[in-house]
Amino acid sequence: MATSDETDDRVGQAYRRRLRGAVGRAMRQSRRAVRPLWDRFRFARQDLTAATPTLPRVAYLFIAPFFLLFSVFLAFPVFYTLYLSFFEYQGVGQGSLFWIDLGPVYLEIPQIAQLNFIGLGNYARLLGNELFWQSMFNTSYILVIQVPLMIGLALALALALNASFLRLKGVFRTAIALPVSANLVAYSTVFLLLFNEQLGFLNYALAGVGLGPVPWLTDAFWARNTIIAAVTWRWTGYNMIILLAGLQTIPQQLYEAAEIDGANRWEKFRYVTLPQLKPVFLFVIVLSTIGTFKLFAEPYVITGGGPTNSTITIVQYIYRQAFVNFNLGYASALTVVFVAVVSAFSVAQIKIGGED
Amino acid sequence: MREQRRKDAVWQFLTYAFVVTMVVVMMVPLYWMLVAATLPQEQFLQFPPRLIPGTAFLDNFAALQDRLDFVRTIRNSVLIAVIYTLLSLVLCSMAGFAFAKYEFKFKEPIFYTILATLVLPIQLLVIPLFLLMAQLDWTNTFRAIILPWAANPIGIFLMRQNMKSIPDALLESARMDGATEFQIFYRIALPTMRSSLAALAIILFLFQWDLFLYPLVILESADMYTIPIGLAQLTGFQRIYYDQIMVAATLAIVPMVVLFLVLQKQFVSGILAGSLKE
Repeated sequence: MATSDETDDRVGQAYRRRLRGAVGRAMRQSRRAVRPLWDRFRFARQDLTAATPTLPRVAYLFIAPFFLLFSVFLAFPVFYTLYLSFFEYQGVGQGSLFWIDLGPVYLEIPQIAQLNFIGLGNYARLLGNELFWQSMFNTSYILVIQVPLMIGLALALALALNASFLRLKGVFRTAIALPVSANLVAYSTVFLLLFNEQLGFLNYALAGVGLGPVPWLTDAFWARNTIIAAVTWRWTGYNMIILLAGLQTIPQQLYEAAEIDGANRWEKFRYVTLPQLKPVFLFVIVLSTIGTFKLFAEPYVITGGGPTNSTITIVQYIYRQAFVNFNLGYASALTVVFVAVVSAFSVAQIKIGGED
Repeated sequence: MREQRRKDAVWQFLTYAFVVTMVVVMMVPLYWMLVAATLPQEQFLQFPPRLIPGTAFLDNFAALQDRLDFVRTIRNSVLIAVIYTLLSLVLCSMAGFAFAKYEFKFKEPIFYTILATLVLPIQLLVIPLFLLMAQLDWTNTFRAIILPWAANPIGIFLMRQNMKSIPDALLESARMDGATEFQIFYRIALPTMRSSLAALAIILFLFQWDLFLYPLVILESADMYTIPIGLAQLTGFQRIYYDQIMVAATLAIVPMVVLFLVLQKQFVSGILAGSLKE
């Protein structure tokens, strides 16, 4: 048996050697065969390079991929929402909107949805809808309290972190800006637990100082405040970073000049810091206003819009109408109204941002 | 003089007290999350609540994994965010380069059309995109999540602004040496944009990472969930297992916190670039 193994091995080795020779030969041959092909490829590439559009036209190649996606997934949907807002949605489209049969070529653009034209019916409906006004009110209520509270805190923190005497600036700044990295839904679930009436840390801490349990999530008034607290926690550091960057651009000489004039701390803030910071400050306000208008994840997770719709926001109402009740036409009309409001703020933002 | 010094001392003390209080306020929810994630369920439900982290993180994680494959959820989120960021960086920098460095017909109208969409909230697109994806048969796919936002107006705007600062002479000399326009773009323009690209990458990554409403509409099956959708599903059950949810929240938040600590400079420049558009 052993000998037969050895012979097998010897045969194998010889076979392998021969094979190696064959492979080498084949490769050498193929390389010789491939060389003209490779050259042809190189020439073709050079031709292609020479043929690529020169300066003005190459630009279209650069923007083409972006523009293609932009047209299909951004520009078209914007107009389609507007279109949809005049219709009643009846189901996913089955037929085709447009088709052309050229023998071998058959082009078909499917109908996106089955629609029934109702003019301004959706708009009339939303104006008369109580829940629409409720959601508008909730959003405005949260806005009016949350934005000033958050901007005030952010400004105070930015001023403190900009003060010359403060040590450990980097540590404080990092700690306060940390929530910026927290995923919206993840931090919302943390607040859901934090404000839980029985298990929550907050009611436990309040009990420690002798205050009774607060119905954070089950009372309309407190539920709104819970949302306000959550949003403020997440975004204060974000605004502080922007305001701090704004503060650091104020020239130091202005403060020195004010000091020589005998200005105290308040006067320096009032007559140097505020006017200098004004564009950034206004900008942060507009940015936060838009952000709060778009509120969705927090009320969705923390309160679910409840209790009895006292925390439902506009976007949440749109979501319910569109994807729970499948009133996509009506939801589009709501979206158009919502976007009109937000865009007004956005235009203000660009105006303010563009001033400096 | 002494009066002034005492006033200063009081002021400084108050400033420190305020800043430290705020730091504590910022830290409490995160600490509480870690405590809840590491305590066994029965200890966690005690009153008064325990305030010291336990050692049951892995047990809670196993229980979570039994109900929802959260490892897969994280994988989905990372995959989507990374592919999206890379794709969008390529598209935005290419288009931004064209708008910054070439003259062509309809340049201004095209650019301002794109810019106009900056003011539109993304919620506007959810309904039509849902119908479009249903028509394309793309619901419950990652490409439906990635592609629509890849053409990001903020991205093209930032890239154009920053690429304007590349000197024309540099590009011209490369052109003299026989470089093609595409080589000029990726050999010369892109390398000078490294810090802007990093800031934009963070903006794009966080945008996709936090996207909630749209994937909520598009993704249907549990194996396709991203982190926000998975977490929202966990809170929607009849009985809410807080310890498991806190494990999931920890897994969603802690890696990003670490990333923030490591890349703080880029995060800050991302925030400033994304907000102060001019």
